[in-house]
Formats: sequence, structure tokens, C-alpha cells
Amino acid sequence: MISSLLQVLEFVAFLAAAVAILELYLHVHFSYFDHPWFVSATVAVAPVLAAVSGHSLSVGHLPSLVLAAAGIQLVSALVFRYVVRGKHSLPIMLLAPGFIGLGMLIAYPLAFEVYLALHDLKLTTIMAWSRTGHIPFVGFKHFTNVFTSSPLSSVTFGWLFGRTIWWTFINVFFHVTGGFILALLLNNCHRFRGLYRTFLVIPWAMPQVVAILALRGEFQSQYGFINIMLGRLGVAPVQWLTQHSLLTCTIINVWLGIPFMMVIILGGLQSISKHYYDAAAIDGASAWQQLRHITLPLLRPVLGPAVTLGAVWTFNNINVIYLVTGQAGGTEDADILVSALYKAAFTFYRYSYSAALAIVIFLILFIFSILWLKFSKGSESVYG
Amino acid sequence: MVETPQEVAAVLAAHHRRQAVQAVLIHAALIGACLICLYPLLRMISVSLRPGDRLISTDLALIPAGASASSYLRVFKETEFLLWLWNSLVITCVTSFIGVSLAATGGYAFSRFKFPGNKLGLTLLLGTQMIPAGMLLLPLFLMIMRLGLINTYLGMIVAYSVTSLPFSIWILKGYYDTIPRSLEEAALVDGTSRFGAFYRIVLPLSTPALSIAFLFNFTQAWNEYLVARVVLCDAQRYTWTLGLFELQGQYLTQWGMFAAGSFMVTVPVLLIFLYSSKWLISGLTLGGVKG
Repeated sequence: MISSLLQVLEFVAFLAAAVAILELYLHVHFSYFDHPWFVSATVAVAPVLAAVSGHSLSVGHLPSLVLAAAGIQLVSALVFRYVVRGKHSLPIMLLAPGFIGLGMLIAYPLAFEVYLALHDLKLTTIMAWSRTGHIPFVGFKHFTNVFTSSPLSSVTFGWLFGRTIWWTFINVFFHVTGGFILALLLNNCHRFRGLYRTFLVIPWAMPQVVAILALRGEFQSQYGFINIMLGRLGVAPVQWLTQHSLLTCTIINVWLGIPFMMVIILGGLQSISKHYYDAAAIDGASAWQQLRHITLPLLRPVLGPAVTLGAVWTFNNINVIYLVTGQAGGTEDADILVSALYKAAFTFYRYSYSAALAIVIFLILFIFSILWLKFSKGSESVYG
Repeated sequence: MVETPQEVAAVLAAHHRRQAVQAVLIHAALIGACLICLYPLLRMISVSLRPGDRLISTDLALIPAGASASSYLRVFKETEFLLWLWNSLVITCVTSFIGVSLAATGGYAFSRFKFPGNKLGLTLLLGTQMIPAGMLLLPLFLMIMRLGLINTYLGMIVAYSVTSLPFSIWILKGYYDTIPRSLEEAALVDGTSRFGAFYRIVLPLSTPALSIAFLFNFTQAWNEYLVARVVLCDAQRYTWTLGLFELQGQYLTQWGMFAAGSFMVTVPVLLIFLYSSKWLISGLTLGGVKG
């Protein structure tokens, strides 16, 4: 335990040093770009530093490393001298560490994913890969495999895709309806509103893992709450977790997701001026007409982003399905695309295959968001 | 038409009655909804208090007959519960610290400076939220494996460090936008550098937003399960989410310990959330409404 703590401290120190070096580098390049010796000096220093650090970290291929450092530094020095010319120094220096981090941990993995999808990394080739870094190239084989062979043991891609759409639609529908009803109730309730609101956000506030595992227990066939209650009503026990896993997951996810929508919609309701309702009431509008013609149109700017966010979250939700059906021998009747992706990679160890599947899922999501943006822009212009 | 005072009174009374009935119905519905929301928590308390010989039962009473704290003691004695909490704490604190420091400077750059790529950068940050988590996990896992960081704190810290960064930058940018620029300008006139003005004036004024960003980073990493499942394999290194998952497992006999452990983890998280929820929500909607 002590050694791993030391490792963490070492890492933090290393990180601080890396940030300091980066900032120093930027500082030199922003402040001294106009000096006559700027380009020649930095291009001379860079290979030396590369050689020293490469040697001390015992990286192979020193000559090519030195050459690359000189080349990169030449380009960078020229850019700083003739293009950047010391402009925007502070924002760039402030943003550089964060964006380099994002680049290394988001952009690079995405590129690596494409590389993986075109090569063949699986349980039989992974040992060779971790020793030599070499994996056989297979081209687009995995992309065709995504559509022809099952990501899990039997369910097909088409089924998973359809189920994902259904799952997203049903969940978002119940999140919004449930959230809307609760928000209306809260908005029309004057006493204890804060107290109710506190209790109602608990599903969102609880650690998801605990909430899901606890609810899964309640669906257990013999000792879970649901079947105990059904039993008292004289209904035979239902095998929720094995035979109705999709329904179980949906119920759990609806329970988890309603509070978020409720809070967002309540915020929207409270920002609608009472005068509209007073005016409508004087004109004799019924409660339903007020809801239809005042509340809903005025909630649009709040609901739009919330529904988009909710749909993306639901589409990408692995937690519920994996925690309910993920253990050995779990059913695959509830799996959607992303949970199948997780299982294909980490239960079945089909790395390259899941990389290809991940790219396909990403493209689907991308196309949906483009369509959604077009659609919502179009309807916005209709409503003015 | 209503004319006499008696008739007016009757109409008013009917109106009040209708309102009273409506209020009762609303309260009844809300109480029902609250019970559904609270239910798993109540049940967790109930199961955790069951005596050792009656763990498995179809009893639904909130406080079971012969309630005892034995499950709470057993969690500490028979499992590595404290170690799991400690592991989670180390990983979470370091990642939150890294995340908040990067977000504090990045958010300031987006809030105060016009530079090419300002808008694009903010949009790209939002775009990263669309990437399915499972998609990044595979290459990250392979990178961590290649670096020999499987089953270490470090591997977890690397995997977590930037996940909450885009959102934190958005929260902090929004908060910096509300701080008047004249404060910094005054400091600049008095001879501080641009960075000095940020460090001495803006940062101290932003303590509430910084703590919210920290709490957000903290809860994200603290509650995470899927990455931990992949990176950690040794029970000595488990975070509490993995540990509780093992306990819940298939063995019903450990229900009591699972419930006790869950309850102890949930209460502080709930309190933190309730404390910070107002801020988190405004931050969450900010991106959608403004962007």
C-alpha cells in the first residue's frame, strides 16, 4: 500500500514537472520569438534535450528520436516566429495542459481505436502484441463481421440496434412524462415543497451502483420485494432477472432517470410568469388548455436540451444493463449496443472486433445527432 | 348568476372545498412518489439490521424483529471494506485535484480571452460528452496495459483524470463570466500581471464554483464502476463499488453485509449531492441553453 501511494505521489510530481516544462517551453517561444538567434538556438537545443531525456528514459532508436526532435522543433520555431508572433500567449498557456491531456486521453485513444479495428487483436494475439507491439493487419474484416456475426453469443447486430432505439425511446418517454407529472405536482403544492423535492431526487443522488444493485435484489425471484408482493396477491413468482430482463432494466432505469427531468422541468415551470395563467383563466381557458397552450410551448427551450442530453445518456447507458445482467451466465436479452460493446471487449475479449463495433456505434450516434440538430433547427424556424 | 351574499358564500365554499380536495390529492401523490424514491434506501436499512440467522426472509418490516448491528460489524471484520474505501479515496482525490486544476485555468482562458478557436474549443468540449464511454474504454485499457499500470492506483487515475474535465471547464467558465472584469483591471493598474490578477483576484472569488467542480469530479470518480472493473483485478486494490458488487454477488447470505456497506457509502454521497445539487443543475443546463 505504501509503495502504491509513493507511486501516486511520484506521478503527481512527474505531472507537475511536465506542466512546468511545457509552460517554460511556451514562455520562451512566446517571449523571445523575435530575437535573431531564436530559431537557430532552439533547433540546436531541442535534439540535445531529446538525446538526454531519451537516454535517461532508455528509449530505443536514439538517432531517429534526435532527428525527429530537430525537425519538429524547426517547424514549431518557425510557426511561433512567423505565425503566432507572441499573440494570445496567456490563453494558450492556460489551456495547453488541459488540451494536451484531452488529446492524449480522448483524441489519441480514438485514433488508436481506428488502428485496432483495422488490425487483429484478440486473446491469442495480445501476448505477442504486448511484447513486440505488432498485430496483423486485416483491413475491413471486422467491420463486415460486426454485421454478420453476433457481438455476444447469439443476438445479432440488427436486434441490438432495434433494441437500443426502443430502449432509448421508452426510457426517455417515461423520464419526461414522469418528470413532467412530478414537476407539475410540486409546482402546485405549497407546503413541504422543499422536503418532497429532496426525497424525490434521491434516485439521482444515490450512487448508481448501489441503487442498481439494491433494486436488482428487489427483483430477485424468491426474496425480492416485487415477488413477495405478487405472492401476497396470489400471483406465481415471476423470473424477472432471467426471463424479463429488459423490462427489469427499463423499470430500474426509469426510476433512476425521472428525478433529473423533474428538476429541469420544475426549473422551467417556475420561470413561467403567473400572469399568463391569470390572463388565460379570465378568458375562461380550462386547465388542459392552459397546459397545452401556455406551459408546453414555454417549456420548449428547457425541454429541448434536456431531452437531447437524456437521449444521449440513455443510448450510452451501460451501467444498468451490465450491473443487472453482467455476471457469468447472465442473459443477453436486455443488451443494447453499448452494453454489448462492453461485454464483447471485456467478457469475450474480442478487442479488434469491439473496436470496429465501437466505431459503428459512434457513427450511428453521430448521424442521429446531425439529424436531430437539423430537425430541431427546422422546427425552431417554424415556431419562430 | 350568483347574487345574494349566501350564494356567494356557497360558491366560495365550494371553491375552497375543491381546492382542499385537490391539495389532498397532490400531497397523496407526492407522498406516494417519495416512498417509491426512498424505498430502496429504507429496504437497505431494514436488510442491514436483520439478525444473522434471519438474513433471508420474506419479511417486509422496516425494523426487523430482533434487529442487530451485526451486519455492520461483519462488513468491517470479514471484508476489506475500509481498504476499499481508502482505495477509492486515494484515486478520487488525486483525479479530482488534477481535474479541477486543469479546469480552473482552462475555464479562465475561455471566459476572459478572445483567441482563434475559442468557440470551437468550447463546442469540442461539449462534443466529447457525446462519445460513448465504452468506446474510449477499450483503447484506454490497452494503453494502460501496455504501460504496465493494470491493477494500480495510477492506471485508475490516468483513466479517470480527464473524464470530467469538459464539464468542469463549462461550470467554471460560467462562473468566471459572472465576476466583473473591473476587479482584474484595477489589479492590473496596480501593477499585477495578467496571471497574477487571475491567481490573486479571480481564483479566491471563485471558491464556491471550484468546490462545486471538485465535488462533481469527486462524485463522478467515487461512484464509477465500469472502468474499475476492467483496470483492477486484485481484491486488495478494489474500489468500494467493486467490493460491494462482489458482496451482492449471487450469495444471498451476504445481503446483510451488502446492505450495511451500501448504506454507509450512500449517506455521505446523498448529503454531498443535496448540498451541491443546485449548482450542478445550473451547470448542467448551462451548456444546453447557451450553446
